[in-house]
Amino acid sequence: MKKFRMLFIVLLCLLVTAACSSGGTNGNTANSGNNSGNASGDVVTLKFMGWEASPLETEAVKKGLEKFMQQNPDIKVDYQPVPGAQYAQKLLTMLAGNAAPDVFFLGATEYRSFQNRGVLLDLTTMFESQMSLDEFIPSSAQIMEINGKIYGVSSCTVSPVLYYNKDVFDKANIPYPPSDPANAWTWDEFREAAKQLTVTEGDKIAQYGAFGFENFYMTTAEIFSNGGQLFNEDGTQMKINSPQAQEVLQSILDLRVVDGTSPTAKTLESIGMRANQMLQTGKVAMVVDGSWALQELATMGFPVGVAALPKFEDAKTHGQAHVHSASANTKHPEEAWKLLQFLSSEEYQIGLISEGLWMPNRKSLYTEEGIQKWYNESVHPEGFRELVSFFENAEPYPFTLITQNKVNDIITEETDKLWYSGQSVADTLANIESRSNVELAK
Amino acid sequence: MKVEKRLSGSGAKMRGPAPAPGRTSAIKNMFHKDGTWAFLLLLPNIIGFLAFTLIPVIASFFLSFTSWDMLSPMKWVGLSNYVELLNDETFIKVFWNTIYFAGISVPAGIVVSLFLAVALDQNIRFKKFYRAAYFLPVVSSMVAVAVVWQFIYNPEYGLLNYFLSFIGITGPNWLTSTVWAMPAVILTTIWKNLGFNMLIFLAGLQGISDSYYEAADIDGARWHHKFLLITVPLLSPTTFFVTVMSFIGSFQVFDTVFLMTQGGPARSTSVIVHYLYENAFKYFNMGYASAMAYILFFMVFVITLIQFWRQKKWGVN
Repeated sequence: MKKFRMLFIVLLCLLVTAACSSGGTNGNTANSGNNSGNASGDVVTLKFMGWEASPLETEAVKKGLEKFMQQNPDIKVDYQPVPGAQYAQKLLTMLAGNAAPDVFFLGATEYRSFQNRGVLLDLTTMFESQMSLDEFIPSSAQIMEINGKIYGVSSCTVSPVLYYNKDVFDKANIPYPPSDPANAWTWDEFREAAKQLTVTEGDKIAQYGAFGFENFYMTTAEIFSNGGQLFNEDGTQMKINSPQAQEVLQSILDLRVVDGTSPTAKTLESIGMRANQMLQTGKVAMVVDGSWALQELATMGFPVGVAALPKFEDAKTHGQAHVHSASANTKHPEEAWKLLQFLSSEEYQIGLISEGLWMPNRKSLYTEEGIQKWYNESVHPEGFRELVSFFENAEPYPFTLITQNKVNDIITEETDKLWYSGQSVADTLANIESRSNVELAK
Repeated sequence: MKVEKRLSGSGAKMRGPAPAPGRTSAIKNMFHKDGTWAFLLLLPNIIGFLAFTLIPVIASFFLSFTSWDMLSPMKWVGLSNYVELLNDETFIKVFWNTIYFAGISVPAGIVVSLFLAVALDQNIRFKKFYRAAYFLPVVSSMVAVAVVWQFIYNPEYGLLNYFLSFIGITGPNWLTSTVWAMPAVILTTIWKNLGFNMLIFLAGLQGISDSYYEAADIDGARWHHKFLLITVPLLSPTTFFVTVMSFIGSFQVFDTVFLMTQGGPARSTSVIVHYLYENAFKYFNMGYASAMAYILFFMVFVITLIQFWRQKKWGVN
């Protein structure tokens, strides 16, 4: 008996000491990093946190950071990628526990609510000494600026666009949707094409015309296109209940329930098909999705085309992308700024842009000369050059300008009722507006 | 004991003729008291329980009277979180959804698993295989289960609607229907937990002596008499345990909902824990979320009390 007891005790002690010692070493390295940085100015270690949007993005971030560390031998960047779904929670918990990373990614839709809570470093002076908001395209500039101050630097921009499978169009002998926003299809032209591209076999639909507009991220772009709004100027009130928005929602609903040219989201998604696979397999002829999808679509081995979204009044889309921010409590604001500056530089952006994942947030990259720097024939389909003004002139994504993210869930809930259980368009918009205004007033 | 004697004997020899008697015996005493030992060995667990269960439970009770977003200073708001909850339409909706979920999934789950346990307690071929097969979902990852069932519920390519079409029924679009999404989630949950309840019932069935059934056979009882008059009453302690555990589990359901429907469509499958999660980690209303947690705790508490009271009435020990 006693032998066993001794064995237990020894094991227990081993466990405890092991736990303590590993904790101790971690603490020590962190401390020594900080100390040496403060005392001698040798090497400063910056903690940098981001999410893993795609393996390519993580790879690019790591490559970029290596370059940055070569250029700045006195700064060491410790990169910590976190799964995207829990990112905001994790960051919040770290901030609350005073263990925040020095520099981090921040979703554009969370930027204002984090700033509200005073946890972001005010970058205005440093920003103004080296950059200007005028260098950025309007949507990015508007997202970055909060009451004349800057707390995060835009990374890039992404927007909803229309993708199509060229083979499917060729087979049906229908002209491709135009890339140039000035010649964008009207909604009626789009609807007509979707009807022609819908193929039934027996009593089943073998090929749908279009998919994606029921996702409110895409719906929003069409509301803008019809001259509608989501919020008032300063984002304090919802202004969605308008004839313009009504027309858009009704038109989108009609695609599925009247024309039968669009599947429900779950039909294809629950068999594991994402938008890009729907296009690849020819299940759907046209898909609305974020511009980031091009990176993957370009490698899927079928002729993909990119076009401007169909228009009601004007061809319009919206733009947003995460910002890079620093913690208000960072011990190394200057080094953090150097990193932020690097992360927003052309040299860092261009790799990801030419892979098709990002679009530039600088006006200088939208000129003839600028486009030359990132345009990649193996990724960007024919006609993409004509499309770039679509991104440049995008409206800021409205949910980046408010701080109540509950509004987003209210919209999902009410539009679910519209798409799936027969709530009328008028009721849906009225409910969204009245319920959201209660939240926005809080 | 023998070993101890020899050890202490050799120890004394090594230390020489005059050991320090006081100290050794104190240490010896300490190691001989089983209480100390038990405490030492339980210590890792106790620390874990204090740090990750008891302290958070107490803290969240206080949080439920505050308004706190984790970053700004905490504000004491008294009972206003609770008052707001009672007037929050969404909360009332998720409250009833939770009752709906538990009210169907618990009784249905128990009845099905009881029949299954009785069936697999008979002398049938491959019964070990069947038991393992029914238990398999319990040990499978919820993520995998959710993916498979989403496929099954697919309106066009799914198995369920395919089978329904044989009997001339056009199945609904399960997971995007505000009417059918909840039954679909309930069905998946029952299927997932069936094996666990079945296993407990099987254990209970083994505890019923065969002599009762033999006596019943002699008296000429039919199978349903035996089931209703012997099996069910003698299983009631097991049934009680399974019921309490299932109710607690189903009031706290989260993963199934989160993975299969994210609470949609139109919140028709959103339950209390899902709304709590959203408030805590999407809207950063920690105080409000904590108040919700205490309402949930109160619900579970009341249900468990009622069951204990019923248990006394049934005369189960």
